[in-house]
Amino acid sequence: MTEIHSQPTEQSSALQSSSEEILSIQQRRWRKFRSLKRGYYSLLVLLAAYIVSFLLPLLVNNRALVVHYNGKTYFPAVRDLLDLPIVGQLGGTPFIAGEELGQVGNKSECNYRALKRQYEQEGKGNYVIMPPYPFGPIEDISVEGNEPFMPPLSRTAFGELRLFGTDDRGRDVFARMAYGFQISFSFALLVATLSYLIGVPLGALMGYFGRWFDLLMQRFMEIWGSLPFLFLIIIVVSIVRPSFFVLVLLLVIFSWLGIAQQMRAQFYREKTRDYTAAAISIGVPTWRILLRHILPNSLVPIITFFPFAVVGDIGALVSLDFLGFGLAPPTPSWGEMVSIGMDNLTNGYWWLVLVPLGALFVTLMLVVFIGEAVREAFDPKTFSRLR
Amino acid sequence: MVEYFIRRLLLTIPTFLGSTFVVFLIVQLAPGGPLEQQIQALKRGGETAGAGLVGEQALPKDAIEELKRFYGFDKPIWQRYLIWLGVWKREAKSYRIKPGVPRLVGDNERLILVKEGESFVLRNADDPSRPIGDWKWRQERDEETGEVRYRVYREAYSGILTGDFGRSYRFRKPVIELIAERLPVSIQFGIISFVLSYAISVYLGVQKALRHNTPFDFATSSAVFMTYSIPGWAIGAVLLVLFATDRFFPIFPLGGFEDPLYADFSLLEKIWDRAWHFVLPTIAYTAGSFALLTMLMKNSLIETLSQDYIRTAFAKGIREERVIWLHAMRNSIIPITANIGYVIGIFFAGSYLIERVFDIQGIGQLSFEALVARDYPIVFAFTVISVVVTLIGSILSDLALALVDPRIRFK
Repeated sequence: MTEIHSQPTEQSSALQSSSEEILSIQQRRWRKFRSLKRGYYSLLVLLAAYIVSFLLPLLVNNRALVVHYNGKTYFPAVRDLLDLPIVGQLGGTPFIAGEELGQVGNKSECNYRALKRQYEQEGKGNYVIMPPYPFGPIEDISVEGNEPFMPPLSRTAFGELRLFGTDDRGRDVFARMAYGFQISFSFALLVATLSYLIGVPLGALMGYFGRWFDLLMQRFMEIWGSLPFLFLIIIVVSIVRPSFFVLVLLLVIFSWLGIAQQMRAQFYREKTRDYTAAAISIGVPTWRILLRHILPNSLVPIITFFPFAVVGDIGALVSLDFLGFGLAPPTPSWGEMVSIGMDNLTNGYWWLVLVPLGALFVTLMLVVFIGEAVREAFDPKTFSRLR
Repeated sequence: MVEYFIRRLLLTIPTFLGSTFVVFLIVQLAPGGPLEQQIQALKRGGETAGAGLVGEQALPKDAIEELKRFYGFDKPIWQRYLIWLGVWKREAKSYRIKPGVPRLVGDNERLILVKEGESFVLRNADDPSRPIGDWKWRQERDEETGEVRYRVYREAYSGILTGDFGRSYRFRKPVIELIAERLPVSIQFGIISFVLSYAISVYLGVQKALRHNTPFDFATSSAVFMTYSIPGWAIGAVLLVLFATDRFFPIFPLGGFEDPLYADFSLLEKIWDRAWHFVLPTIAYTAGSFALLTMLMKNSLIETLSQDYIRTAFAKGIREERVIWLHAMRNSIIPITANIGYVIGIFFAGSYLIERVFDIQGIGQLSFEALVARDYPIVFAFTVISVVVTLIGSILSDLALALVDPRIRFK
């Protein structure tokens, strides 16, 4: 009797709440995430910074945005847009010799800052528009006006501001820091995504099918996991200098393990649940059970882990670069900048260490804040406590 | 239970073999391995080899031959691996010999190669009737001059399983000796930071759990997140710049393990000096693991505190400290004890970055330099040791878990 009576009341209460709004679980999670201000704003800031970082060649560059010379107009910096390290030189080389633009006798790359001064002096109606911060990440002491170890906020002989000074080869620290962000973050996103793509299916199959496949893979993963992976990567890198993508693959080789373990445990647990048994008994094909029934129930732990995987991968890249076994020079990288700073520690060039590490700290903090908020949005735990 | 751990220990054997074989393969099969490198350096006429990496230099020829014999480079890879393990015989002692000229082979034993018909026979030089033991001889040809030479040798089982890691060709010393020299430094840092990180994280974790969602919790959370996300060596580098260089606050030494004049110090000065050098590296070491442990401690205590038996304990009127430290803690320390093995592994294997930042001459630094200089016996030894430490660490974790959690019965 009581059961029958309780039925309508429950329904009516459900109706009441639905009159406000029916939210799917994803919508509820998104709402919860947005309500966690620290994580939400971290996501906005990081997203904005990453998107802007693809426009860096227009903002921070030693190549001019626009050069107007004898009636012809050039856009050297625009070509750099397609020349990001992860994409390769899609837009052709942005190289324009100095001679072509009127720098007499300069057969190498045009020095656009000098060109601008030259045009202004000549007053023939030619003009150069430089990016807001007119220094590139790779140009070094060989370019006129670049001096090594310029302190932050100092100015060159021509009055241009060096926001964070220069390093031992006269390269601009601010430019290298900015481009380093783009590279580190792209690297980490790529490594994390790829290791998920490998780890999730493998772990799922191990957990669901079990038997010899699971046993074999378990042994293999135990062996793989006991290897000192940073050290092994260094061994491999010391023998073959890898490109960006090879280094990504090297890290993926070692980082899919943890994800596969997680997925295996999840699938192992879920396959014993009643809903799986029901699906099997009504003849749902296996792939469908895996993809549509179990997978959505198993994703929460590894989704909440993603930001932390990114943190780990950024850390790994910076560590490798610091030891000199990461991306090939002269790629702007935070780790390499720190190692230059550590080599010059006693000379008081503090900015060489603190600037890249500051950038690292801020980036990682933002990602960790996002991760914490994601975790809370996916797994809201309310603790009641009595005293 | 005991049975379980015996089985766990036995199961580490195939894992150990598997992972050492992987390491062996990677190092041996990679182009430009130790031997190739050195031979190329020799061909370039002894000038410095490679891309001018630190300490890389050409080897004298006999050192290369020694290497060749030690690794058995003329043999197939699986045989080389077995030799390296020490379950296949290797040429343990080997001397060049000239026919008819006695050769001292240690222990006052002199051998002589005597012509007998077409071939030669090896005899004891002093008393031809005495047995020569398991000494053998063979003929070999010099690759460059084509000159025929002879060599007496004795085979023995000698590899990592018998404790023979070979000799470093940079230091000209057995690898075991080198590691034994450097190990104390690394272990001192490891133990101090292990104890510190557990002490701090248990205390802080408890405080954060008790004051969940208070300003104290939020403030310490930021510090914990920071140390969680940033590698320990990076924190160390920042600390060095801020607290050791003249530019900011030159309070601590710039690195190293002890003062150059350490030997002349009095005992008190020695202790002071050692402590002074320890402060910054210890912070860097501790930072790496303390964040994870603190969060684990906090979360598990919070969860325990919301359980019924804790409510009951409070309802019975037991003092709060007693409830927390006696009733709740027993269940709450389980997750952090399960991390013991993992933390031990980190202190051991992940230390070369911090040692490099602080210029501490520990085994991390030793093996990193060995890697750069392609001193492979040391590299092998380091990887083997860290594999062993990882394996032991995971068993230790299980053991610790079984100790603190009576519900756990491994089968």
